Amino acid sequence: MSIQLKKTKQARQALALAILGIGVLGLAGTVAAGETVKFKESESSFYSDLFDQNIYNEGVNQLDLGRWGRKLSRKPLPSKNVNIFDEVPDSGFFTNRQGRERLSPEALEKGYQETSGPDLSKPLQVTAGEQRGIYPRFWVKDARGDEYLLEFDPQGNMELVTGSEIIASRLYYALGYTVPQFTILRIKPEQFQVAPGATTWEETGFKKALSQKRFEEYLMVLPQNAEGLYRASACKIMKGNYRGIFSFESRRKDDPADLVNHRDRREIRTLGIFASWLNHYDLRESDTLDISVEENGQTVLKHYLADFNGALGSTQEGPKEPMLGYEYIIDYGETSKSILALGLREKPWQKKWRLAGEKIQGSPAVGYFTNELFDPARYKTQFPYESFRLVTHADGLWAAKLLMSFSDEDIRAMVKAGQYSDAKNADTIAKTLIERRDLISRYWLSRANPLDGFSFSGWKLLFKDLAVENGFASQEGTVYLAQVMREGKKEKIAQTETKEPSVNIQPEWIPENGEAKILLRVRRASDKKTSPAVTVLLNAKGIQGIRHED
Amino acid sequence: MEEPLATKLEEMTRKNKKLFSFLCLGLFAFALIAYGEEKKADLYAPVYTKPLTAQPLKGFFSRAIELPFKLAKWPMDQGIIYTENHRLDKKTIWLYEQTLKQGVKPLFGFTDLSVYPYFGAELNLLALARQKEKYPDFFATTTLLYCPTVFFAVDSEIGAQRIGGTGFHSKGIVNYDLEQKEPFYGIGPNTSRGDGTSYRIETTQVGARAGYEFSPTIDLEAGFDYKKVNILNRAHDGKGDIRTIFAGQNIPGLGGDDLLDYSLTLGRDTRDSKDDATKGSYQKFLFQFTDGVNGSSARYLKYQIDMAKYFRLASPRRVLVTRLFAEHNQEIDHGDIPFYNLSKMGGAGANTRDSETARAFVYNRFYGESVLLLNLEYRYTVMEYKKFKLKTAFFNDLGEVFGKIHEFRLKDLRESYGIGFYLSYTRNTLLNFSVAHGNEGTRFYVKNKLAF
Repeated sequence: MSIQLKKTKQARQALALAILGIGVLGLAGTVAAGETVKFKESESSFYSDLFDQNIYNEGVNQLDLGRWGRKLSRKPLPSKNVNIFDEVPDSGFFTNRQGRERLSPEALEKGYQETSGPDLSKPLQVTAGEQRGIYPRFWVKDARGDEYLLEFDPQGNMELVTGSEIIASRLYYALGYTVPQFTILRIKPEQFQVAPGATTWEETGFKKALSQKRFEEYLMVLPQNAEGLYRASACKIMKGNYRGIFSFESRRKDDPADLVNHRDRREIRTLGIFASWLNHYDLRESDTLDISVEENGQTVLKHYLADFNGALGSTQEGPKEPMLGYEYIIDYGETSKSILALGLREKPWQKKWRLAGEKIQGSPAVGYFTNELFDPARYKTQFPYESFRLVTHADGLWAAKLLMSFSDEDIRAMVKAGQYSDAKNADTIAKTLIERRDLISRYWLSRANPLDGFSFSGWKLLFKDLAVENGFASQEGTVYLAQVMREGKKEKIAQTETKEPSVNIQPEWIPENGEAKILLRVRRASDKKTSPAVTVLLNAKGIQGIRHED
Repeated sequence: MEEPLATKLEEMTRKNKKLFSFLCLGLFAFALIAYGEEKKADLYAPVYTKPLTAQPLKGFFSRAIELPFKLAKWPMDQGIIYTENHRLDKKTIWLYEQTLKQGVKPLFGFTDLSVYPYFGAELNLLALARQKEKYPDFFATTTLLYCPTVFFAVDSEIGAQRIGGTGFHSKGIVNYDLEQKEPFYGIGPNTSRGDGTSYRIETTQVGARAGYEFSPTIDLEAGFDYKKVNILNRAHDGKGDIRTIFAGQNIPGLGGDDLLDYSLTLGRDTRDSKDDATKGSYQKFLFQFTDGVNGSSARYLKYQIDMAKYFRLASPRRVLVTRLFAEHNQEIDHGDIPFYNLSKMGGAGANTRDSETARAFVYNRFYGESVLLLNLEYRYTVMEYKKFKLKTAFFNDLGEVFGKIHEFRLKDLRESYGIGFYLSYTRNTLLNFSVAHGNEGTRFYVKNKLAF
């Protein structure tokens, strides 16, 4: 008997050891795997973006049977990375910031900051340059050893490009996107020093050694303020390994954390909406960055939006041209319409430009940025990304919610980061952004189900009508329709209407070990249509899930 | 003095109670905040209805259909990325600008007669000799053009502008031109396309021009040229030689000629752009006397009017272009008009040699002593992106070749109508794709110039 017990004990010990061994091996494997994740570098360029999006995808998408199926059945493709509460969890692409908790005006103005900008205690070492058109940009290293990319304003448009870039970086960051650090730098010519071995890409397409003389020639074309200072936007070169760009369409197969096709990521789809807010016509894949960094002993990818000089009223070369934001570079639809209209059709941007007297009316520091004839549904970035076209009502509502989370003061705080010498310019930009925020939000809140902020208390399902709260619809004449369904079944067990943003829940509606599905719709006196539904899953403990209809 | 112990205790209890109440309240508030925080945090928790799984973007069949395109895309993408990473586009532009700076202007275009483009260069000899800055009003150029199986041409000119600071200008020219297959279908408005052949023509020309520029838009020029024209045999595409096909017909000039041309040209041009005009007009009046020498029987007068007006229809994006071209060749003193110098009509009008624009007909389709041609074209902009423009044009060409003036017949008018798409960058035409239809069928054109 004792021998048997001993054997059993030994067997148990062996089993425990084996389990422990497997555990240790597994752990070691996981750690090793974490260390050895290698991300391939995915390349893209402006021309490849142009070819892929404007030519290849526009053609090949017509061969996508699923796309045709969705079009014919009018069934939208829901975003796949939303959680049970219809929100987007944090990821390498997106971190809930303003959406989670309102940021202070100081935090909004500051944006993402690791340092206060280039350290000017010693001259900046210019390590590389590039001439684009007539204007240069420089890569510099400061006294701390941090590297920055400096971009400047064009002649006659002081503060235009730099201001736009800084403001857009603040807005994208507050929205939740990952952006590098951008700061305004004012610098004297003597605070630059060309580093030994510095090179530059000339406009000729040849890479040459950057001499002090050539550097000075570059500086000569840049505008200086009254104090003789150059103004630049300084983008901090992020630490980590550069892994190319991220696609707006497909996931990275070499990233175990990247499980959802980017086309089906809500935060990628709604980039098109946020781009319309910021007038960021050249938002494109080739202006993104994937950087692998070590976090908690793991190698992870951070997905950055990186270039914002095409935002607000600006382009890299100067003020925005009037068609930007209204048409793709190659816009088959618009061109076909114009061909058929025999020249009698005036496009919205042409009308707007005509009404403006075919010249930019505002300040050179603001560029071409107004809300006249702005249509949230028709804003176009220069490339036709399919993901932007797939935005559903639920995606639009999510974006509108985020936009409405910025108060007028919040927006002014972020615009303040642009450090305009004339307060009128900051005011014009803030005013335009505020108006545009409302135009976009109104558009999406009128199309999607605007109910949000659900809570369950005292057998009452309480919610907020965002359209009413933001003054886009009147409470008067608004009726909320609730249908109660048995979980997992199409059987309707109750129906009720209320004029208040709350629904009384009957205990018998909620099954003992399950959930009740409550579908809420909104009907307004001003609108013949009833809104799409929002589904709330409810059990005795509270709300278990929310899903707005796509 | 002696405060009762009970009161003391009572006060202490009361204080403790207060403290306890505050503590409870604090704890409650903390719990509430924490609860609130927790609730809020929960809203963004990565809890999904279904676990996230990697899925393909498209269904199996869609992927299968796309596969061949995807295979072709990869090398194209790589090529494009390589081009941009190595700035090959910028290097190409730089190379082009450098050659211009050095005095060499590369030329490239399309003829109606070949799928192959023509190419060549204009050599600015003064710039090549680094003398342009020293003599800004002088010019000396040589243009070489070659199109495989179609033509080879060398045109040279040397002269001066603004002589003595006035509007006078003068130049000398030396040209050599070998056309390998100039189509010929007979003379007159009713020739048959089936009877067509082509001929080789070799022209050597030496001449001089002198004129006066009254203003930047008005110019008068007189010219004198000696031309030696050789008509060479050519039998191609299974067709016979021009002498065989048109045997028995009196076609002057078949043996070639030595010609002296005396010309006077008055020109006016107020267009806002030569290549992409949206307003203005041009008029050209030419009078020329040609006399055959060394046994040539050629002796005739040429009268030519070429005028076009560009009407803006309330916007520079809508332009109606009307063009009139009229030419008459009048033999004198029983002389002849060589067939190769007759008025010609047919083609897109964007060729290196002159055959007036009648786009539904092949190049050089009609030969006659006279031609009357009306072109009507409505151009409208359909796409603008920065400095790129795409225009659509609807056009109608109506014209006729005929002999004497009284031989003009309305029934002999030939009509073309069609549509064109013109892509330009900074008002320079990059691509002209046109399709025209007429009673001899449909013709497609790919060019990098506009007809007018």
